[in-house]
Amino acid sequence: MVNVIKEQQGSKTIIRLSGSIEETVNFDQMIGALPPELVINCKEVPRINSVGVKGWIKYFQTAQAKGTKITFVECSTAIVEQINLISNFSCGGTIESIYVPFSCQKCKSELVGLFKTEDLKKMNLVIPPVKCSKCGGEAHFDDIPEEYFGFVSR
Amino acid sequence: MSKELLLISTVPEDRAFSEQVASTAGLTLKITPRVDDAIQIIANEEPAIIFVDTSTEAQYLELHNKIQNSVGLFSNKVRCNSIHFLSNQNIEETKFLIQSPLFGNYVMRNFIDPRVGEHYGHLVAGSLSERPFGLAQLMKPGTKIQKVVVKQSEQKQDAVEAVRSFMVAAKFQSRMATVVANAVDELLMNAIFDAPVDAMGRQMFANLPRNAHIDLIDRSAVEMQVAYDGFYVGVTAIDLFGSLDKLKLLSHMSKIYTQEEYKVRSSGAGAGIGLATVFRSGGSFFFASEAGSRTEVTVFFRKTDSFREFKDQFRFISTQFFF
Repeated sequence: MVNVIKEQQGSKTIIRLSGSIEETVNFDQMIGALPPELVINCKEVPRINSVGVKGWIKYFQTAQAKGTKITFVECSTAIVEQINLISNFSCGGTIESIYVPFSCQKCKSELVGLFKTEDLKKMNLVIPPVKCSKCGGEAHFDDIPEEYFGFVSR
Repeated sequence: MSKELLLISTVPEDRAFSEQVASTAGLTLKITPRVDDAIQIIANEEPAIIFVDTSTEAQYLELHNKIQNSVGLFSNKVRCNSIHFLSNQNIEETKFLIQSPLFGNYVMRNFIDPRVGEHYGHLVAGSLSERPFGLAQLMKPGTKIQKVVVKQSEQKQDAVEAVRSFMVAAKFQSRMATVVANAVDELLMNAIFDAPVDAMGRQMFANLPRNAHIDLIDRSAVEMQVAYDGFYVGVTAIDLFGSLDKLKLLSHMSKIYTQEEYKVRSSGAGAGIGLATVFRSGGSFFFASEAGSRTEVTVFFRKTDSFREFKDQFRFISTQFFF
């Protein structure tokens, strides 16, 4: 079940989602009246099911139609997968930053690194290895680049 | 019906794959590159299983037309359940297969993993039993099967989380465990809300919000079976309605929204994207349905070293319908 932490920064309403987004989600109730600017932080969303996707699109499509400017930040791997699978998942919003998955070649740990979409474009979607925070080994990007970064070139 | 696996293909990797499948399923492999010869074999020997290279629409149409002009598309000699289309293409690019009256099974060529032939061989063996129900028939013999009965709709999330924890304990990467959990979520949701039909065949709960409370008693109870053989995990959702519609199912499975927009449906409370998403995340499906009696939907995933391999693993869609 997803929880929401709401924060106001000037004209921006920042929403921090945490937990799985599934059939119990009710964005209308959780977020309330639509502000002029919404920033959705998706760092703590580990999973979203099909009914969650439906609720997400319904809510953010309405928000966009009503003139709310939407920005998605710190999108978790689960959210990035949906952005790539469903062309209108971001509902006209901007994907500002995403978590990129890495896997350590030495200790097999799973790691994520935060990247701005703009930087990914500059890097030509070539992600260099990073140092594993657990063993110091080399961790490589662990997904199919054309799929995981599909939204960047869309 | 003979105990033969007939392969109609000139692709070397199809041969190696079929050899493994035949050996695991206890079948004799017969290979022919020509559809004309295959038609003779089908008419005279009635092979138990047919694997056919349908990489292009032209190849498929040759098979389709020659069957139509010989034994007939609806002959007992060509049962959809026993035909396996082998293809390089993604399912959304093979509308000619999805819409085929011969569609039974679709295998996406990716035979790099040496275990895929054996894995698929167990499924083929299971499909040849009188009724291919129960996860045990589809897994490596001796694999332990765990069973859970869901008696209330709200228990679905507990079942999903239990599978996720099981995957993590089996040393699947957490991302892989989440993909498997999502697959189980979709399977259970369909079994709870979409499968139940009344005596007239009308869906009973399809329009209910997916967070609605339903007591799943007697026939409505949903059973989940989970097994892991050290390489493959299989999870089955079982309902006792046997209401699965093959055309609707294949249409859902082949729909993608990477180019076109997903439109929120006003009819039904489901989203209509669950199974397709699971397939694109690396899952394979085995659907077995006996009209009016039971449907079992099984999803398989291979444990891999990396998520990249996980997503790009060998995949298939197998349908076994009984009327």
